Amino acid sequence: MISARMKKHGAIWIVHALLGLWLVFSLLPPVMLVAASLNRTALFRSPLDLLMFRDFTLENFSQAFTRGDFWFFFTNSVIISASAVVITLIVCVPLAYGLTKISGRAREAVSFGVLAMRFIPYVVLALPLFLIFVNLGLSGSRVGLLLAHLSIHIPFATWMLVGFFDTVPHELEEAGIVDGCSPWNLFWNVTLPVVRSGVVALAILVFIISWNEYLFALFLAGNDAQPLTVGITRFLGGAEAGAEYGIIAAYAVLVIAPVILFALTANRFIVSGMTAGAVKG
Amino acid sequence: MAASRRDKFTRGWWFILPGLILMAAIVGTPLFMGFRYSLHDVFLYSFHTQNFVGLENYRRAFADPLYVNSLRITAIFTIGCVIISVGMGILIAFLLNARQVKFRAMWMALFLIPFVMTPVVGGIAWRFFIWQQEVGVLNQVLTFFGGPAPYWLLDRETALWATIITNSWHLIPLATLVFYAALTTIPDELHEAGRVDGAGPFQSLWYIVLPMLRPHILFVSIIIITSAFREFDMIWALTGGGPGRSTTVLSIFAYNRGIANQDMGMANTIAFTMFIIMAVVAWLYITLYRKTLGDKA
Repeated sequence: MISARMKKHGAIWIVHALLGLWLVFSLLPPVMLVAASLNRTALFRSPLDLLMFRDFTLENFSQAFTRGDFWFFFTNSVIISASAVVITLIVCVPLAYGLTKISGRAREAVSFGVLAMRFIPYVVLALPLFLIFVNLGLSGSRVGLLLAHLSIHIPFATWMLVGFFDTVPHELEEAGIVDGCSPWNLFWNVTLPVVRSGVVALAILVFIISWNEYLFALFLAGNDAQPLTVGITRFLGGAEAGAEYGIIAAYAVLVIAPVILFALTANRFIVSGMTAGAVKG
Repeated sequence: MAASRRDKFTRGWWFILPGLILMAAIVGTPLFMGFRYSLHDVFLYSFHTQNFVGLENYRRAFADPLYVNSLRITAIFTIGCVIISVGMGILIAFLLNARQVKFRAMWMALFLIPFVMTPVVGGIAWRFFIWQQEVGVLNQVLTFFGGPAPYWLLDRETALWATIITNSWHLIPLATLVFYAALTTIPDELHEAGRVDGAGPFQSLWYIVLPMLRPHILFVSIIIITSAFREFDMIWALTGGGPGRSTTVLSIFAYNRGIANQDMGMANTIAFTMFIIMAVVAWLYITLYRKTLGDKA
């Protein structure tokens, strides 16, 4: 009896120790970034020095804001990510809803097409878009970059939303039809409210994907539409020597702050969104 | 009856058509043009003169040892990421699902951070603070125990493995999340029955949990294959494809050919072979998935 209890306690201890170890591994890179951003650094320092804030300063942040066009990159990132969310929702919510209303072959064919598009490597789209945009005069514009983002968001969002709409029971709409609702009312007032949290989850994920996107920006942003992810790589040349290293860390912290805040506060939505596809093809 | 059926038909399609047309235009146009460019000689410095060369670009690509090398590196990178992510994902999910663990939502929220963290920034953080030869955490720990202090990212032998581990760090949360969600649906009675039969934690992992996770393993694998196969950001931030060409995956190779060498015909050819490889993988996945579902039914 005693040994069984000890064994049980031992098991709890081991499980928590392993989870804690994993947490350290997961969070070490962002924690080191924060530590480096809050220390005065002209040269590389040992991790312990950084973590104990031996040379605490906020100077790096004021430098990151004033040098290197932070607000220019920030504005581009915000405009592109926010527009991507709005347009993706306007396009994909009706599209996914409609897909659950048609039946048989047609639905299967369209769903297959949408799923297939999710497998396309980004570089396959980015390279031709580069030339297409040069021809259309869209290279280096936010509109062009936004279109590129939509080419990955729309298949992803449609596929995910179909999963949410499929969970709405048919009886709900049938009751609406008996009450004489118009097709638009059925969609807007009957079904959409049921999947509201799914739509929120999708909006957050689309924002995060756009915010984090780098490949399209590198290919298509030119000089005028560069987002934060391109902005930070601008610093890297000087960083190898250790020169601007604290400022880069501060800059990096500013780039990841919004997505990490999302991850912590809107966690419930992100989890539901990411596991939504796990049970279906 | 006929009228209501037609109503039902048009009702769906009115919602679908605008989005479908936009999607076809926005994805179909670059895909078609990419294929078209791959059949032409297109150079950035004079891209208005495009000579049709048929499959010549494809022949040149497959004859190019650098392309074959890049294909090999992409395969190692992708398979490495899948094995590590699926393995660690199951393990962490299994630990998190242990009966005694409290505050599971909080653990999961913190575990998710590497997944949402901007990959370029993740790459920079790992390069400066973990892999860095002199003051990186890894070498600080190694030398503390009297170990060596290699140049992880500057050595051809280790750079690819360092990028695989870094990218797995980014992808494992996704795997953990899906497996954890699946584990919570396994009824307690099953574990109970296992315990009564004298199964320890490892037996229950192997004989009870893994068989039930089979469709989820397939699902996670395909997502990770898709993501790792096209990965650019993380590797670019860590090594830029170097040292030498030891981490030049196909995405980076295509970028180098197209933007740096200005050979857009060849770049699009490389990209289109990636598309074909992914199409085959997607087809395999859908076939396998139907079979797995068939087994269960």
